[in-house]
Amino acid sequence: MPSLDVVASSLASGFFLGGIYALTALGLSLVLGVMRLVNLAHGEFLILGAYAGLFLLKWTGVDPLAGLLLVGLAVGLLAYPIHRFLLTPLRGKGPEAPMMTMFGVSIIMQNLFILLFSADTRSIERDYATASLSVGPVTIAWIYVIGFAVSVIAIGLVHLLVSRTAFGRDLRASAVDPFAAAIVGVDVQRVHAATFALGAACAGIGGTLIGIAFSFTPSSGATYLLTNFAVVVLGGMGNIMGTLLGGVTLGIMQSLGGIVLGDGYRDLVGMVLFLIVLAIRPTGLLAGKS
Amino acid sequence: MAGASRFAAAVAIVVVIAGLTLLPQFSGEYGVQIGFRLLIYIVLGEAWNLLAGYCGLVSLGTSSFIGIGAYVLVGVLNAADVPISITLVGSGLVAAIVAFVVSPALFRLRGLYFTVGTLALGEALRLFMINASFSGGAGGWFLNAPSPSTNALFYYAIGLLAAATIVISACTQTRFSILLRSVRDDEDAATQMGVRAFHVKLAAFIIASFLMGAAGGLQAYKLGAIEPYGMFGMQWTIDVLSLVIIGGLGLRLGPVVGAIIVIALGEYLADYPELHIAITGVILIVIVRFAPKGILGLGLQLARWLTAPRPASGALRSGAPR
Amino acid sequence: MTGLHATTPSGPSRAPLLRTEGLTKRYGGIVAADAIDLTIGLGEICGVIGPNGAGKSTLIGLLGGALRASAGRIHFDGQDVTALADFERARLGIGRTYQIPRPFLDMSVEENLKVAQFSLSPFAAHTLIERECDEILEQTGLADVRRLPANALPLLRRKRLEVARALALKPKLLLLDEVGAGLIESELTELIALIKAVSGPNRSIVVIEHVIRVVKECCDHLVVLNFGKKFAEGSTTSVLSDESVAAVYLGTAHSPSPAAAVAAAPQSSGATPNPESAETVLALSEVFAGYGQAKVLNGVDMTVRKGEVVAILGANGAGKTTLANTISGAIKPTHGRISIAGEDIAGLSPHQIARRGIAHCMEGRRIFTPLSVEENLLIAARSVDRGEAARRLDEVYALFPILAERRASPGASMSGGQQQMLAIGRALMSKPMLVIFDEISLGLAPVMMDRLYEALLALKAGGLTMLLIEQDVERALALADRAHVLERGKFALSGSAGAIRSDARLRHLYLGEAE
Repeated sequence: MPSLDVVASSLASGFFLGGIYALTALGLSLVLGVMRLVNLAHGEFLILGAYAGLFLLKWTGVDPLAGLLLVGLAVGLLAYPIHRFLLTPLRGKGPEAPMMTMFGVSIIMQNLFILLFSADTRSIERDYATASLSVGPVTIAWIYVIGFAVSVIAIGLVHLLVSRTAFGRDLRASAVDPFAAAIVGVDVQRVHAATFALGAACAGIGGTLIGIAFSFTPSSGATYLLTNFAVVVLGGMGNIMGTLLGGVTLGIMQSLGGIVLGDGYRDLVGMVLFLIVLAIRPTGLLAGKS
Repeated sequence: MAGASRFAAAVAIVVVIAGLTLLPQFSGEYGVQIGFRLLIYIVLGEAWNLLAGYCGLVSLGTSSFIGIGAYVLVGVLNAADVPISITLVGSGLVAAIVAFVVSPALFRLRGLYFTVGTLALGEALRLFMINASFSGGAGGWFLNAPSPSTNALFYYAIGLLAAATIVISACTQTRFSILLRSVRDDEDAATQMGVRAFHVKLAAFIIASFLMGAAGGLQAYKLGAIEPYGMFGMQWTIDVLSLVIIGGLGLRLGPVVGAIIVIALGEYLADYPELHIAITGVILIVIVRFAPKGILGLGLQLARWLTAPRPASGALRSGAPR
Repeated sequence: MTGLHATTPSGPSRAPLLRTEGLTKRYGGIVAADAIDLTIGLGEICGVIGPNGAGKSTLIGLLGGALRASAGRIHFDGQDVTALADFERARLGIGRTYQIPRPFLDMSVEENLKVAQFSLSPFAAHTLIERECDEILEQTGLADVRRLPANALPLLRRKRLEVARALALKPKLLLLDEVGAGLIESELTELIALIKAVSGPNRSIVVIEHVIRVVKECCDHLVVLNFGKKFAEGSTTSVLSDESVAAVYLGTAHSPSPAAAVAAAPQSSGATPNPESAETVLALSEVFAGYGQAKVLNGVDMTVRKGEVVAILGANGAGKTTLANTISGAIKPTHGRISIAGEDIAGLSPHQIARRGIAHCMEGRRIFTPLSVEENLLIAARSVDRGEAARRLDEVYALFPILAERRASPGASMSGGQQQMLAIGRALMSKPMLVIFDEISLGLAPVMMDRLYEALLALKAGGLTMLLIEQDVERALALADRAHVLERGKFALSGSAGAIRSDARLRHLYLGEAE
């Protein structure tokens, strides 16, 4: 059994890492809740964010943390035409055609990453990625704390956007009853396009943070997609605060799994937890609406 | 008419399979290698088509059952001197048993959630195999048995395809096919007609998993060394799904057409594997949008259009000035 | 229970095939079926009628097993089937049809039948299966299309296929859900003949119907549902001639209200603001529309002028809501022209039509339940500044003070009547040229209806142009200047509200006594 310090540090890392999971999962959750779309390319948007952070640093020297908004904007802007030209024409063709299309986008993006950036394992090298913070028995990397803070702020902003603004009103109305929303004057397709871009931006920003904290490869997206699904299912679809709770829960469970079973089992714990929750309660443990 | 075309299809299949056995006589090593891959892909495609095309179960868990089959084959052959054909059946059986065990949980999920559930299953199994010590972790296992000749492998693959053809035909050309398709088209309406939807889906899932397991076993026999990233990898899932959708989802011969196209494309772009997969993605998107019944469906539509009488053009002719 | 006394159904000597006790279905706070006791004898054809939202389709769902009962029991053929799943009930001999046909579209007609046959007896001899299939196809008039895919069939054939598919289960109890909806007169005649042909001494049939003619000609015994409860029961002729039943349909089931009296006053004195000279807000010419195979509107011509209140009346299934949805752009007309203030709106999406000044207060309220009351209102006030939005809110709050009180509550927490007020308020928030009110009194208590109609009267006095779609004929005519009565997608009767009210054909159009 590892020492108490290691256990405490590991649980704390899991908690903070869970915040980052929550941010990326929020993107998946919004798209699923508003558009009823399983975005199988979500993991690739996340990895795109990691690459964007990496190259921003390499080419311009801008610290990825300073450039987070830029990364979010870039990934969101890339997602917009995907919605406009690939998803909009599939309206009314059932839920499977858009999902398959996003599957296609996912494999295209993954292989473009390999073609453009090689299959090498990368990471964004920053001091704060390795420097650690010690509080009592707990020692964790600074990036976990920074990532958590950034994620909570971003989640809070998205929450405000959804709950306080006119766009958020349109978004929530389109999610519950797109027909009625259109009748009262909401341009539901535009809301969907914006939601899709917002979801991708969340993935992109979270991706940069993950790229600083961990190494990544062009094909890392699939694991994050599933981790994010686990968070969505734990937290309840379309429930923003639930997503945060789901992320933290998953982060801690992963740490526990790592302590008890060995580090390699971290991701497996998430997957198994996901399958169990999905089987017991497909609507999520904290089922609720926005 | 339907009976005649069904008979013709059966004859065609038999002729093709018989013809395939002669292939090693004419083609070189390379041809036989390609032939082996083609046969494996057709078997996998037919299994997936049974699930998604006939029963509406869009699974992204193909690699789970391929991987299980592969590990069972290597494990059994390393432990005992068992004939390969029996070992392949064992691979299929274990895959089918796993499918049976996870089905109560997976079938609680409908539509998109089922798809995500199968994706998670594949990922979970892969992560498990990477970490578990009994399976050799990320390093995997080596097959201790002597490696088979390319021709022998090819004949095993023909045998597997023949078995798959019989099993899939038994599902898709019989009364069972009607029950399968009713569940695919409208599960609720089907249960109101007395269909035990759960049992129908379970049967399709078990049969498809059996075939995938056996194909995975044969693939492992060929490789001689297996590891979790390869055998439980997403690539299998992507290839199988793509080939069925490109060939023609829900069409009996769709996977055959799709497998030929996917393998031809793969060979053509063999030096650029990433480009190959990316192009597969583009084709997938285009097919989903413009040809929901794939290349074969498009071909059939074209054939119907060419053979159908066209009153419109006749009217045009009669209306033209004399 | 008002009106008729519920007595033993017409055939007391027959053994009951189906018996329900206190059958209840609740959705949250809404009771869709409220303690329904039904007894259906073997060989009997029982009709179930009632206005929209009375709980008829819920009843079918409960009997067929698609819905789980919240309370009560179902006994079928000497067995308690309450806990059985839908497929188990199907195998015991309960066959149902869907209101909107749900054939297996990619399968042939023959295969559609075989789903039931093979699920029931997977190993039956080929010849036996074929013979049964032939018989059913012959009986339902589908023999000539047996090899066609179901998606190639027109609506009437699809309805026949629904019946054929249910018959393939060899049901002892056949549940027919609105098989008459959307059919023309001659098709109804065929359908009635079919229902009679498939009945027999060993088969009971429950016919749930809006089209009165079908129940009148097929059923021995009728049950009337209203507000989820059994309202009346008896022999078909006695139920149909009963005044209280007519009142349920025509909306006179309540005592004349003060609102109706007030409403009648200005209208009878011809206070309409110069209908001939006022500008045209909405014009429809030769409009045809429907859902896929179902042609619901068959050539509607209509104009609404500024300041006018026009009522659209008609029995259930006549096409009233389809008309509303076609105007607001949710359904694209297949033929004809619709213009708003002279501008053709062909090809515009609903949100674009909304921005051109049409507000649609939808049937069933369609409140955004997670949004607060105020958000529900503000969402309809599009591209206006804060001050203007606040002014409009104040106007709506003045009309319905309860909304101001509950402004921060989620829409889901409101009662049915309050939700309807919210829906009306939401429709007003865009300052529309014309508001379509679709069935605002549906499922509400008379007191609440009075309250809503008082509000509408105030709006009329303020000069609002309205298209009023209403089951409650009395209330609609009290408010309207002019009225049209829809019958199977066409106007069967048009004129001033007063003229329509006194027209003897009105009652016939509702209860189907016109021949």
